[in-house]
Amino acid sequence: MTAAVTVDLGNASPTQGPTAVAEGSSKLSDRVFGILWMYCALNAAFGIFAIVILFKGVNPVTAYKDMASSTFGSWDSIGDILVRATPIILAALAVSVPARAGMINVGGEGQLLMGGVAGMGVSLAVGDRLPGPLTLVLMVLGAALAGAAWAGLAALLRQLVGISESVTTLLLNYIALDLMFFLIFDRWKDRDGSGQPVTRALPSSERLPIIFGRVHAGILIAVGAALVIGLIFSLTSWGFRLRVVGGNAEAARRSGLKVGVLLVSAMGVGGALAGIGGLTQLAGSEFKLRSGFIAGYGYIGFLASWLGRHRPAYVVLSALLLSAIVIGGDSLQLDSKLPAASVNILMAVTLLMVFGFGRRRAAA
Amino acid sequence: MSLLSVSLFREIFTGGIRGGTSIEYAALGESVSERAGVVNLGTEGSMLCGALAAFAIASKTGHPWLGVLAAAIAGGMLATVHAFFVLTRRTNQLATGLVVLFLGLGLTSMFGVAYVQAPAPTFDVVSVPLLSRIPFIGAVVFKQDPLVYLSYVLVPLSWWMIFRSRAGVLLRAAGERSEVLTTHGHRVKPIQYAAVVIGGMFSGVGGAHLSIAYTKSWSENMTQGRGFVAVAVVMFAARQPFKVAAGAYLFGAALAVSPALQSRGQSINQFAFDAIPYVVTILVLVVLGRRRAAQTPEGLSKVFEASTVG
Repeated sequence: MTAAVTVDLGNASPTQGPTAVAEGSSKLSDRVFGILWMYCALNAAFGIFAIVILFKGVNPVTAYKDMASSTFGSWDSIGDILVRATPIILAALAVSVPARAGMINVGGEGQLLMGGVAGMGVSLAVGDRLPGPLTLVLMVLGAALAGAAWAGLAALLRQLVGISESVTTLLLNYIALDLMFFLIFDRWKDRDGSGQPVTRALPSSERLPIIFGRVHAGILIAVGAALVIGLIFSLTSWGFRLRVVGGNAEAARRSGLKVGVLLVSAMGVGGALAGIGGLTQLAGSEFKLRSGFIAGYGYIGFLASWLGRHRPAYVVLSALLLSAIVIGGDSLQLDSKLPAASVNILMAVTLLMVFGFGRRRAAA
Repeated sequence: MSLLSVSLFREIFTGGIRGGTSIEYAALGESVSERAGVVNLGTEGSMLCGALAAFAIASKTGHPWLGVLAAAIAGGMLATVHAFFVLTRRTNQLATGLVVLFLGLGLTSMFGVAYVQAPAPTFDVVSVPLLSRIPFIGAVVFKQDPLVYLSYVLVPLSWWMIFRSRAGVLLRAAGERSEVLTTHGHRVKPIQYAAVVIGGMFSGVGGAHLSIAYTKSWSENMTQGRGFVAVAVVMFAARQPFKVAAGAYLFGAALAVSPALQSRGQSINQFAFDAIPYVVTILVLVVLGRRRAAQTPEGLSKVFEASTVG
């Protein structure tokens, strides 16, 4: 996490000029206050969720104890937080980059799926003609391109036809899902398998290396991407221009910025990150495409980006928090006999508390 | 080309109305909400709440109409959450809408388990005397369930409410020129609250149609993005009730193509066809996009154009 914190310090540095002021919370006291606030909001959310599960006849104290022990109880479960956080972080960054230019990408889910589909496609197309690690590199590239194309399409439609990317990205999620279903039920179905709608598994040489337990190198890619995006935001002129466009697109246009190019490129970069997120899920954790392959990580990533106010370091922390809550959902199912999706209530209430009762921002 | 028979078209058009009605309700509601300047992506969540409430209450009481009432209340309550955060706490509309959807998804998953595969009284097709005997049109339009007939009434009614009534003037002013309302001594927020809650109630009824008339069952996350499609329909229909209805039926017809072909022995991959409604929705947005963008209420275009970063 030290890496992620560095990003934030970079953000607050004066290299950004006047915009650094709008970024706010550069003072340590502010940051401590922010963390305290977050803690209060979390407590309030857990309190409200406790009341909700009481209605279902579940003892909240026991439920929370079970959740805590199954989420933080062992190295394996802590590893699970990192594994699940990997696609969430990358999907969240896919929201943060366009958001800096004032765009709303709700298509992380579809971009993750397209990344996974493209990765599998490359693996199937290459077969054993190339050495595994080389195939893996091609898979990453294919996934990034597919994600970028899926998101870029929405940005292009906004630029050329003027339809809101928030709606098109949402619709594209469903199209991506149907595309994956089409492939796993038909063209890519594993002929030697059990008849289930799944693809063949990736050969072990095309998988991401394992760090410990189930934790794979994807988490390093995700945190590394956050670091790079943080540096790009604060150090490059592209990052600065995105912020100008996000602040006032009309003013940016009049001062000679190519707004269209900036918007499409921001969306493309975001989509590429989510595409890579889909690939880490494929090559690090799932190894084959199946129906529950992405399971809502794109939407959770969207929320993580907003929770972290689109700033890479905070986005990573938010993604880890939401990942832990999702894993708590498994405990709700196993120990408290509630459906796993119940945890969405806890997640939603947490976000509403933070969005609705967080401190007002100077820039907001 | 014996495939393109009259019966095929009848099936697709009938299915278009049947399958499109849930979206039609939600999109009518969202039109009201957007007229007041509030986008509600939580429409999907309101539909889910409506679907479960309708199914549960119908199952408990034995009266499907009580289910519809419960659906309206449940959908309206979830929309109230959206209204509170967006209007009173001034949060971002799109992000809040999505969070509200998650809230609805979680609540309905938790409280819906008991109703998966439960029996409930449902709405069946009722033929309208005489009218249903009109060739082709009769079978398509007048052999439907009662909630479809209710929607036939609600479309012109909401058109009248929006464009001809005093309430409609206030509603549109709240979305277009809220400062004019203020100078005339009206308070904008109560109008916007009412619009969002009414929108949620409509969406709830849309969900009710899904669970107690269309699929006749309850399952987790059964709306499958219909609420999002409703938001898209509202966008390309420029918040006008008649066009909203047409857009919803178009989506419904796209949904009906695949089963109609399959029942004629065409072996097709279902998932390729499942994508059609979403593709059609995007294509219509593309074709109508430019023209519609100019008609967006002023208060609304701000929502779509810039998200606050920071």
